Amino acid sequence: MDNVRSLGKMLEEVAKKQKKKQAILFENREVSYRELDENANKIANGLKSLGIIKGDRVALMMPNIPDFIYAFFAIQKLGAVAVPFNTMYKGREIIHILNDCGARAIITMTNFANLINEVREDVPTLEHVILTGQRTMVFVTPDNTVNVQMVVGKKTFESGDDAFRVVGEILIDTFKQFGVETWYKHRGGVRVGGKKLATVLVSEVENLVVINVVAFLGPLHTDDFFRVIWVSPEVKDKVMEPMTSVEEETGTLPSIDEFKTKLLTSLKARLGVDAEEGQLKRDELFGYEKTLALARKTQ
Amino acid sequence: MADTWRLISNPKGEIADMVGYASALVEGRIAGKYMLSTEKLPDTIVVQGFREKGILAGAEIDINRDTAKKYGISVANYPRGGRGGPKPVGTVSLSDLLKTSSRNFSAVETAPDDPAVLLYTSGTTGRPKGVTLTHRNFHQQCTNVSKVMPLLPEDVVVLVLPLFHVYGLSNGLVSGIFFGTKMTLVPQYSPSMLLENIAKVKATVLIAVPSMYMHLLQLAKTRKAGIPQSLRVCVSGGAPLTLTTLREFEEAFQTRIAEGYGLTETTSSVCLNKSGEAFKPGSIGPAAEGVEMRVVDDNDNEVPDGTEGEIVIRSAVVTPGYWNNPEATAESIIDGWLHTGDLGYRDPDGFFFITDRKKDLIIRGGFNISPREIEEFLVTNPKVYDAAVIAVHDKRDREAVKAFVVLEEGQTATEREILDFCSEGLAEYKVPKFVEFRDTLPKSATGKILRKELREGYQDDRMLDQQAGEEASNG
Repeated sequence: MDNVRSLGKMLEEVAKKQKKKQAILFENREVSYRELDENANKIANGLKSLGIIKGDRVALMMPNIPDFIYAFFAIQKLGAVAVPFNTMYKGREIIHILNDCGARAIITMTNFANLINEVREDVPTLEHVILTGQRTMVFVTPDNTVNVQMVVGKKTFESGDDAFRVVGEILIDTFKQFGVETWYKHRGGVRVGGKKLATVLVSEVENLVVINVVAFLGPLHTDDFFRVIWVSPEVKDKVMEPMTSVEEETGTLPSIDEFKTKLLTSLKARLGVDAEEGQLKRDELFGYEKTLALARKTQ
Repeated sequence: MADTWRLISNPKGEIADMVGYASALVEGRIAGKYMLSTEKLPDTIVVQGFREKGILAGAEIDINRDTAKKYGISVANYPRGGRGGPKPVGTVSLSDLLKTSSRNFSAVETAPDDPAVLLYTSGTTGRPKGVTLTHRNFHQQCTNVSKVMPLLPEDVVVLVLPLFHVYGLSNGLVSGIFFGTKMTLVPQYSPSMLLENIAKVKATVLIAVPSMYMHLLQLAKTRKAGIPQSLRVCVSGGAPLTLTTLREFEEAFQTRIAEGYGLTETTSSVCLNKSGEAFKPGSIGPAAEGVEMRVVDDNDNEVPDGTEGEIVIRSAVVTPGYWNNPEATAESIIDGWLHTGDLGYRDPDGFFFITDRKKDLIIRGGFNISPREIEEFLVTNPKVYDAAVIAVHDKRDREAVKAFVVLEEGQTATEREILDFCSEGLAEYKVPKFVEFRDTLPKSATGKILRKELREGYQDDRMLDQQAGEEASNG
């Protein structure tokens, strides 16, 4: 007799038998079997509303957090196929896996949005990128790292995609003025050969486009950071993508001011925009101080 | 129309400014839109540098703030985002899906042999292959576990191994659910976080890899007091655990370690060497109930006990094959027997011993050389922390042994010294021709040495290049 229970049914039956029992302990939270089952159901319904059906492949790129478990069993309940893969994968590794399995959706962390977004056009089957969690990490080194933030009206660009493209072009132009030839991977990074020189993230909220760029003028010294965030020595060199900087490419470390001047020249050329030095207004200062206080707060 | 943006220059900013400006600008603009403010705010660009080293981290990243202070690194967290914050273009938020969907859903009917999971594994060569695992595979694995080492509903199981790996997924998560246990999640491994977690939740079952047992033991030795004694049973797999570590760990944590052996292709474990019961040092144990295991020669004939050959497995835990890859499937599953690529032998009591990987063997002058044997010998040198051995080609295009050596912290050694050490303890043909010193060795999530990445001409697949991207989009 074939009494094989599917993974989806397995959870349902266990959850029915012991609804109130704790299933997951995470940080200081407890999740009961009933909650686990219901969260899996909610995501199953959500995936269904996105058009995911039995047999579809759904990739998972997440560390061990409750969302992994909900998503895994949601996929099982749909009769779809879960494709969990190593969270340290980057670039071509991700393209290969997503294409090989023909994934229609991926559920991943917000911090991997960049990695996934920039390979999206190389993975024609991928329709949905579903994001969760707050595990983004950015390292900066004084004088070597520059951050550009833009908050502009939506109509500045034709679309979110156009914003990515235009910002990519502005950065290529900027680096060209330093004598560094780069190329831009749509929705992601600016590179010299295979090495990353800058990253671009475009977000939207209401009628605004928010652009965040991190560019490397000089090398990022990662050793210090790995003292603060424990990464096992064997995988240390895999946590980061291979990177480069203007200094490593040209032999000279430009100042932030030089970068700013060249960036504004490119901005003018591409968007016809002038920039006038200014400060935050009174209304904005409240928000600024509030966010800073929250961001600095020890957990 | 010539637009003018406001430029904010902040050449000596702090790390928190990376979120501060964008957030303030967005809030100001949205407030303006709803006429909560009288000022019309312009499009703005902020260009900023940093006055000190900094880390901007998501709320779920664990950062050692004391160490950060010591090294002059300022730390800022993204404020926990609610709904309605900026969202990366072209994405869906999981929390929105959770909030807007019904909590009722009845699992879709599936056939036992329908695929449930694809797990990508890197072989010795080529791109990772997708191992198809079916509902039957997982069900059989749970059934086998229930016979060999059943979990109890009152167990608290530590899930520290990545769930994207077969060992954590199958023997951790799926078994944990099957037996209705309580599972504690460790999203980011560090020895101290794992130890604290075990103590805090009074964990009873630990499923881990040898390096984790080694780290925990080291930590326990320095702490002496407060070593959790709640672990009922531990499982080690992925790579061999030394007998010394096993014994010392059992003593310190008052527990038992069972060593398992399994592959992605077998939905994880197929045998278990249980300390405290029938146990043989260095063995992977007898085949579990529900698993047939044999040792065969190159012609697929079973060899007598004690003779080395390839280990082959037949069971309902064995994958039906690689996803969309009938050639690779036909190569490794022959007449229903999965060829593991692992070399080993069976003793007269039915215990199996692994000697090496078939594909890693180095052949020099007609002799088979086992990289693992040389690696194990190298680490007996007190100066050597870790070692890996691969085949390279010498000037005359013959296979030659190359050793990669990681020295213990603070130690120095010359190539000559390492070679002399080898000459004293190894047959002449096994002595490496080349020695290279490294800071670390590339390893997989479960601590296996990735020899592939040590070979010459290894392509770094983390990178994207312009051409690859274009090829993929044209193809």
